Amino acid sequence: MAVGTQGLDFEEFYRGSKDQCLLTVMVSVGDKDMAQDLVAEAFARAWASWRAVSRHPAPTAWVVRTALNVSISRWRRRRREILMPDPGRIEGRSAIGGVAGSSVDPRIMAALLRLPARQRQVVALRLFLDLDTSHTAEALGIAPGTVQAHLGRAIAALRDDLVRERSRETPP
Amino acid sequence: MNDDELLTAVRDQRNKLLMTTPVEQVISRGRTVRARRRIRRLAGAVAAVAAAAVALTVLRPAGHQPADQLAAWTVARQANGTINVTIRELRDAAGLQSTLRADGVPASVTFGSEPNPACREYPGRWNLSQSGVQLSSGGPYILAINPSALPRGAGVQIGGKFDFAYSIPGHPQTTYISPWRPKSPVSKVVRVLALGAGLVQASPQCTGS
Repeated sequence: MAVGTQGLDFEEFYRGSKDQCLLTVMVSVGDKDMAQDLVAEAFARAWASWRAVSRHPAPTAWVVRTALNVSISRWRRRRREILMPDPGRIEGRSAIGGVAGSSVDPRIMAALLRLPARQRQVVALRLFLDLDTSHTAEALGIAPGTVQAHLGRAIAALRDDLVRERSRETPP
Repeated sequence: MNDDELLTAVRDQRNKLLMTTPVEQVISRGRTVRARRRIRRLAGAVAAVAAAAVALTVLRPAGHQPADQLAAWTVARQANGTINVTIRELRDAAGLQSTLRADGVPASVTFGSEPNPACREYPGRWNLSQSGVQLSSGGPYILAINPSALPRGAGVQIGGKFDFAYSIPGHPQTTYISPWRPKSPVSKVVRVLALGAGLVQASPQCTGS
């Protein structure tokens, strides 16, 4: 498909970052299919504004932010009809069925989804997209110090959660 | 499990979840997004002009010039009597107005300023395209006027101006159009051409006849 220079640059960006963006959005919305839909829409908007997005200091953060905005917009449109719970608050969600069929570690994914929403987003942006604190703060619209605080609490909670899970699996 | 082991374990999840949407599908959707943005901008611009009955500007005269000379505007009479006005830049409104009047179109043209206060809206309910005036979308703007199809006693008022189009950080999917440059932080500001046309009552003060 001939899409010109702009398209070739975009294709390179898409192939190099789509999986990380999908995982980052997946951690926020808790469902792989929904995340894939949102990320595809965000990449489409990135293509439509590629001249600006390609100059963005953190284009992957732009894509993730756009995907989450799309998610919020859709939720607002449906809010009178559908109540969408925070995926992290769903009891008994084993290994988050939304990622079934992938090789994602179900224990880590479940532990991530048990974090509060903002902590999940900070972990995803910092660890999956490798964004620094300032870009993470910019993408989420919060202060850099708040990013550090969320990350510290998230790591502590994840460690406790995973250690607890391992102790349950290991017979005394 | 120490922090390093934990961070490594979390980072290792990258590339284990695969995005399967083909890039061609994303680009196809991107084309649709881009097309819708253009339509929205154009609709906003035309609506702004129609609502304000705006005026315009013009730079240099260019009536009846060959098509290969890209002037601010050109006026060309077709064999069927229709007069095509192609506007590329908002310059020399007076020159365009004179050219149109010389071609038998009672016209009032203003660019970037208030419309002629002597002009009065043509009364009644009328449809512009069914009254001999067609306005194309996109640039350059082409206005097709059929003088013989204009309602009795009607003239054509043409107005154009530049507006500011911008979006707000965090909401890139929404484009706002304003006649004023936004003061609050916005993600990007571009100037867009707004061009409109309408029917007015022909009179010596408004349309010259």
